[in-house]
Amino acid sequence: MTAVTWSAEQRRAFTLGLLPALIVLAAVTLGPACYLVITSLTPLTPLTPGSGLDFSTPLANYSQALLDSSFVHSVWLQLELSAITVGLQTLVGLGLALLLNIESRFMEAVRTGFLVPMVLPPIVVAIIWKVLYTPGISPLYAVLNALGIAAGSLVTDPATALPALAVADTWEWFPFTLLMVLAALQMMPKEPLEAARIDGAGAWQMFWYVRLPFIRPALTVVVLFRLIDSIKAFPLIYVITNGGPGQATEVTNYYAFIQTFNFAYWGYGSAIATMMVLGVFVLSLIVARLGGTQAVTE
Amino acid sequence: MSTAATAPRRVAIPVPVRRRRTRHWRRHAIHGAGAALLFLALLPVLWLVQMSFRPNADILNAGLIFAPTLDNYWALGSAGFPASFLNSLLASTGSTVLSLVIGVPAAFSLARYRFRANKQIAMWILVTRMAPPIAFTIPFFLAFTWLGLMDTVSGLVLIYLTFNLAMVVWTMKSFFDAVPRSLEEAAWIDGAGVWQAFLRVTLPLAAPGLAATGILCFILSWNDFFFALILTRTNAMTAPVAIVNFMQYAGWEWGKIAAAGVVVLLPVLVFTFFVRSYLVRGLMAGGVKE
Repeated sequence: MTAVTWSAEQRRAFTLGLLPALIVLAAVTLGPACYLVITSLTPLTPLTPGSGLDFSTPLANYSQALLDSSFVHSVWLQLELSAITVGLQTLVGLGLALLLNIESRFMEAVRTGFLVPMVLPPIVVAIIWKVLYTPGISPLYAVLNALGIAAGSLVTDPATALPALAVADTWEWFPFTLLMVLAALQMMPKEPLEAARIDGAGAWQMFWYVRLPFIRPALTVVVLFRLIDSIKAFPLIYVITNGGPGQATEVTNYYAFIQTFNFAYWGYGSAIATMMVLGVFVLSLIVARLGGTQAVTE
Repeated sequence: MSTAATAPRRVAIPVPVRRRRTRHWRRHAIHGAGAALLFLALLPVLWLVQMSFRPNADILNAGLIFAPTLDNYWALGSAGFPASFLNSLLASTGSTVLSLVIGVPAAFSLARYRFRANKQIAMWILVTRMAPPIAFTIPFFLAFTWLGLMDTVSGLVLIYLTFNLAMVVWTMKSFFDAVPRSLEEAAWIDGAGVWQAFLRVTLPLAAPGLAATGILCFILSWNDFFFALILTRTNAMTAPVAIVNFMQYAGWEWGKIAAAGVVVLLPVLVFTFFVRSYLVRGLMAGGVKE
């Protein structure tokens, strides 16, 4: 009898503990999300009074997006940027993790140092790379010139602007891959490695057949996390190229920002943002299916 | 290896010793490579730091020899930067405290009780962590204009909850998972209620995790640029937005911009040092497996 009341009391207490967070989380996330979807069905703009209640052509923004060559272009740019930056981050992070995979106090200090680029305020990262990409004050161009390479400004050339941003983004985020892969490598049991060594496996074989299969779950989650975050890159673009030259770095996130806050097409911007959320949701489902945090830290 | 006791062994099994020696050499090589690569990776930051100490006349000179000066830092004081710095501090601290107060009990409840919707809540938190900020910004912009929260620190505190609350619930849950239940159960038997036992027994044991989570929240809010750019104008402008204003309106005063950058990154570096071991886990917050 007392057991029943105790468990009921427990249930009540825990529900009470959970409820405020759920209510607040709903108010700051679910509420805005619903509002976003609703505005995406209207031609809302502050320039036309009453446009927020005009649901006569609810899917107009979405069909407009498909016909809007700037939007389609921004999606391709986004794919290009994500592919370059996630690819580079994975290669650099994985390579360094394999190289630095020993356990010692010194290495722990080194690893802490590698945290710096990714914890820096993104705006500071943007300033740093603005400086590095501005001829005249940049040591980068000074070094290139000294080597006899006559490089023009990388970020004002449409052909190199996006890769230049990808390099900056890679610098900011390769430590994430590095630290995650290192953590996974150091949880690896010694036996398979010993066995492979006794069987005469070379360094490459050890990596391909022993280490890589072990770290693959962690690596997959890391890549997906970075992929999702690469869609949100903003300060670098805002400070360094402002979407230009022309539209050379106007990725989808940035395009939505310009449409919404420069041109005040709130309805249209909402539709683009809604599509981005859907894309992120699908990627998140994959992360969840693959096991998320546990695959990496536990 | 040079002691008398180990000497005979060295003769008896020479191969492992040699292997150990090459391993020892290899360790040094890897340490050296690690230090060199780290230096290379941090060069861009170090460049910003040296720029902030350069006299203005010398800023375009790429040479490494110059007379360091604090002029750029003093110039920040007269440029209204301290007010923005204070706004950043208030918004970040406010949002951190609020999300801990609301999020910690929720995390504990999720860690200790099997709610039927556990899986859905976890997924919700993951999507919140992943959602592009622009998706929140548009509705918040419209709502803030209507509610009069535009350009206020309270508005920033609210919008920072979108990422902080999810982070607190997720990371604190994993800390509470690691605290054995038997201690609370003992407290219950002694007549303590669920939340009494939590406050007296579990929370003190999870204190390091609580501190780390709080610091993570602070860093995430402090680092925000996008929300503050759109939702503030002048009154509540945060330090990152102030830096960008230096760039756009004050001409290209690189020394001052660099000094402001250093001032903004300093708190983050200090805090990072304290939470370095938890940081990676926090950044992965939201990965789900229930």
